[in-house]
Amino acid sequence: MSPFELDEPRTLRKAVALLDAGTACDEPVRAIAGGTALMLMMKAGVFEPARLVSLRRVEKRYAAVRVNREGALHIGAMATLSSLASSAAVKRAAPVITQTLRTLSNVRVRNVATLGGHLAHADPHMDLPPLLTALGAEVRTLSPAGERTLAVGDLYRGYFETVLADNELISEVTVPPLDGWRAAYLKVTTRAADDWPTLGIAVALQMTADTVAAARIVVSAATNTPLRLTAAEDVLRGATLDAATLARCGDAAASGVELAADAHGSSAYKRELLRVYVQRALRQIEKT
Amino acid sequence: MTTTRTIHFTLNGEPVSAQIGTHQNLVEVLQARGLTGARESCAQGLCGCCTVLVNGMAVSACLYLAAFADGAEVRTIEQSNNGELDAVQEAFIECGAFQCGYCTPGFILMTRQLLDAHSDPSEDDIRHYLSGNLCRCAAYPEIIKAVKLAAQKRQDKS
Amino acid sequence: MTISTAAVGRSIPRLEARAKVTGRAEYVHNLSVPGMLVAKVYRSTLAHARIRGIDVSAARALPGVHAVYTGEDIRRVIAEPYYGPAFHDQPILALDKVHYAGEPVAVVLAADAHVAEAATRLIEAQYDELPAVYDEVEAMTSKAVVHEVLKPAGTFADLKHLKDKRDTNIALDFHLRRGDVEQAFAAADHVFEHTFRTQQVLHVPLEAFATVAIPAGEHKTGTLTLHSSTQSPSFVRIEIARLFGWPENKVRVIVPYLGGGFGAKVYVKSEALAAACAMLARRPVKFACTMEEQFYMITKHATTLRIKSGVTRDGKITARECEVWWNGGAYADIGPRVTQKSGFTAAGPYEIDNVKIDSYALYTNLPAAGALRGFGIPQLVWAYESHTDMIARGINIDPLEIRRKNLLREGRPQATGTLMHDAALDLVLERLATRMQWSQPLDRGTETVRRGRGMAIGFKASISPTTSMAIVNINADGSCNLYSSTVDMGQGSDTAMAQMVSEVTGVPVEKITVVHPDTDVTPYDMATLGSRSTYHMGHAVKNAAEDARDKLFSLARELGLSAETTPIPDIFKKKYGMQAGNIVGVGSFIPPYISPDANGQTTDATPFWMIGATGAEVEVDTETGEFKVTRLVNLVDVGKAINPAIVETQISGATIMQLGFTLTEAMNFDAGQVTNASLADYKIPGIRDIPPAMENEAVDANQRSGPFGAKGVGESGTFGVSPAIANAIDDAVGVRLTSLPLTAEAVYRALRVKAGKPLIDN
Repeated sequence: MSPFELDEPRTLRKAVALLDAGTACDEPVRAIAGGTALMLMMKAGVFEPARLVSLRRVEKRYAAVRVNREGALHIGAMATLSSLASSAAVKRAAPVITQTLRTLSNVRVRNVATLGGHLAHADPHMDLPPLLTALGAEVRTLSPAGERTLAVGDLYRGYFETVLADNELISEVTVPPLDGWRAAYLKVTTRAADDWPTLGIAVALQMTADTVAAARIVVSAATNTPLRLTAAEDVLRGATLDAATLARCGDAAASGVELAADAHGSSAYKRELLRVYVQRALRQIEKT
Repeated sequence: MTTTRTIHFTLNGEPVSAQIGTHQNLVEVLQARGLTGARESCAQGLCGCCTVLVNGMAVSACLYLAAFADGAEVRTIEQSNNGELDAVQEAFIECGAFQCGYCTPGFILMTRQLLDAHSDPSEDDIRHYLSGNLCRCAAYPEIIKAVKLAAQKRQDKS
Repeated sequence: MTISTAAVGRSIPRLEARAKVTGRAEYVHNLSVPGMLVAKVYRSTLAHARIRGIDVSAARALPGVHAVYTGEDIRRVIAEPYYGPAFHDQPILALDKVHYAGEPVAVVLAADAHVAEAATRLIEAQYDELPAVYDEVEAMTSKAVVHEVLKPAGTFADLKHLKDKRDTNIALDFHLRRGDVEQAFAAADHVFEHTFRTQQVLHVPLEAFATVAIPAGEHKTGTLTLHSSTQSPSFVRIEIARLFGWPENKVRVIVPYLGGGFGAKVYVKSEALAAACAMLARRPVKFACTMEEQFYMITKHATTLRIKSGVTRDGKITARECEVWWNGGAYADIGPRVTQKSGFTAAGPYEIDNVKIDSYALYTNLPAAGALRGFGIPQLVWAYESHTDMIARGINIDPLEIRRKNLLREGRPQATGTLMHDAALDLVLERLATRMQWSQPLDRGTETVRRGRGMAIGFKASISPTTSMAIVNINADGSCNLYSSTVDMGQGSDTAMAQMVSEVTGVPVEKITVVHPDTDVTPYDMATLGSRSTYHMGHAVKNAAEDARDKLFSLARELGLSAETTPIPDIFKKKYGMQAGNIVGVGSFIPPYISPDANGQTTDATPFWMIGATGAEVEVDTETGEFKVTRLVNLVDVGKAINPAIVETQISGATIMQLGFTLTEAMNFDAGQVTNASLADYKIPGIRDIPPAMENEAVDANQRSGPFGAKGVGESGTFGVSPAIANAIDDAVGVRLTSLPLTAEAVYRALRVKAGKPLIDN
């Protein structure tokens, strides 16, 4: 790694201003939160910043986790993943997040990595983007143009690419109240137990008695961005979760998507895994 | 602004300062001070050989900018307990939970963290908590035994 | 002199346990010396190419860079800068051409590692690409030739005929002939023939290769100290001295603890480059590899193995033919020895009257392959024990029964003609069967989760003939120093050797210091490899300890004291009038060995046999092909265990390492370039990959020729793992995998083929 300028602004607004200044003079400048992902890129020499803007000293409220009166979960972008893993509020509001964090990277990375960084890095192998997409979560961002809110599902433009501007930072993530939604996330690994996922599969269902009122099914890891499997969702809407429906849903999921081949498996094999694991995720929801 | 700076932090209970480059990680700074118990191996935060505690939280020092240690309390395996071994270290020795010893400081620090959070962890808890530490000699079965023994020793002492 | 309670056979903790749990144990990776420069390497991006030019000007100009060297610069201090244990084929930095992607082409020295690293990114080399060969079978006949001329090192007599041989990739061919396989195949009731493959993997010690080379000051030109993470300090000294044209004693090699070795750190690895740089720069130089760079240093052979057997109706194997192609990569390293030594046992631990073995060490344009925990044996056992199982299924005999029927028994001739002695094959197999409850039916599981079990047994001849020397020094206060060049890389040799000294001299283990290898201080040892130390160094240490004890006893008697009851300090005090003097015992050992003849026949192939067997139980998810190894049972013959607890960690550790090579580890390549050179993408076993049930047992055995009845243990746990798991998968779902690693996708695809609906790739 080569030396770089390092700013440690005390406010998020100042951080955004520093990014804006860097962007304006075409300087390789980037925000660094926990830095676990960015350090890998810098160590590998694929990212050589002239300046980093550290977010670690910004206002403490950006690391807060709280549930509002309606039951929505508000998570500051600077909250570490381990603070979410141990948060009673998160476990109460969205236990599926707590479960997902258990196998997300490792304790030390979770101690340092932040939710904002996790989402903004746009690595399609990350576990929370598909899950938060399925949960209908939103991010609030801050830039010199002001604040805006967008769905996590709309955050990604491509492989390691978000729709955020270079001078725009995620400030908060909001997970809406579950209101009858039930969700599951399955991290499918095909090599060692601890690995990047071959597939990430997030499923959320809103049930009315035995019938599916609404469904969100998201696949990741073998796609450039977390991807909604709308054809599979359509199969479920208005149906009961019987074996035939599950099978049709799995088939619809498997037939509607291009999955990239890599060292974790061939495209054809991942398709079969998707077919099976979408059904397993649904069955897991059924059991909860 | 420059790319070097002086950081001040508490190292194993002692206030220290260090002249660092912004691009340096915490392992480099510790090694330069002669503390070699945290060592960089995989360089990716996966193996745990560089584990240190920053403000009481385990981090991979190879992925941790030294600049971020400014103002922090840093503890390493070298932190002496008046020359006494603690329950975790004793248990690792008694169970033969290491061979080459290269990953051992990381496993010991992580085990202490685990037992601080869960005084009586299940085997599943142990496996999940230590999944970010690699032992190529594969003393894993002995490590699992050692963690259970250390939990027992701690309970006996308290 | 008071004899303490027996030291051998006790599970005492490692001598260095406290140092390791407090983070104080020393490793070269952590060493820094004043004035030290750091070396960072610029590596080839092509697998086979002629070097047209190397532009290092921008790197040299980077502030903070001390020097940049290429292969031609190395010639200023070493005229013929090629090294290797079997062939002098490996240049310190590439000369004329590059032979694999990842080969060192230039080196940058700087005081700051970050500067050196940045400078390597400014180097540019121009190449003319050459046709490359990657596959070991293709390499037999390929027009792409890795080395124009073969250059055997001269160390091994049986490589001399290859000197100056041109236009071949075959670095060594080993042949064994016994009986007449063709006739036996013709007469057999059944003939089975299968081909198996193993993938290229690597050692991944968590401490990567590291050497600090320190040239002496101007007043002592020509001397060089190397602190190195090596398993073979004596070899390094001899080889580095040879390169510089110096006598041995001008090079000093010092080795602290190693953060793992597993066969990676044998012979010359990081040392030659560090030494050359230090002599060029006249400054201390540290060359410490990164984890990524380990993927370009040394690996384990990928192999193709064809095996054919003739069998009688009732399961007696009458003939076996094996052809093995070893993918040695760009440099021979110790590959030719792997090819030969493992060739001895390629037909398996069975008494077969007609055997034909052809084993080939091949050059290819991949990172070099050498020795890795088992010296080729795990690849062979993978093939012959999968094959044995397939025969059993083919003729409907129980897998245990076919092994019982054919197993080599005490006193019977093995394929080389050497008679089997102290090889507890039968006991290991029977204990395995008992522990597996093989005669009891297994719960087969459900429709979608099928269960199965499998077993495998293998054996290995030790590396021979090799030499070990040791010195035991009894101090005037009754404490003791052991000087030995055996390297403790985690296997616990310090402790085991101290136990042997204690057993002989009566000096308590806690009063014994094991002096770590320092070639100015500790005597010669061939190397710490191939599970040889307990036996070879063990004998040398025992001899040295006996020599010291005998000298002490005669001194006591000379002084009119009782040798048996006088405390050691009193003997010295009486002799020297104060706490002074010492008693030095020396010991050496080289076992007998007779080189095989042209047919691979010898009456003495090895000083001892290593035996290892594994039983596996698996659960296969038939919807996805995913499977879990739910139980591993590992049985070995280690003779008498010197330290049973450490022996068990060796069995277990070896097994888990082989579990990685079986399930998750594989080097992936694109045009010869490794595409997964990191632990994120090359998956070694983690704690969650360990089977929920693991049992290890060293059977009650005795190596009569061994020190205290002991023999080597480091590798035996690896032998049976891979085929036991493949056999269990077949048992569970009726599909047979013949290539490693065993992946969920491979199982899934095989299930689809079996169902008549092969998975179609889009």
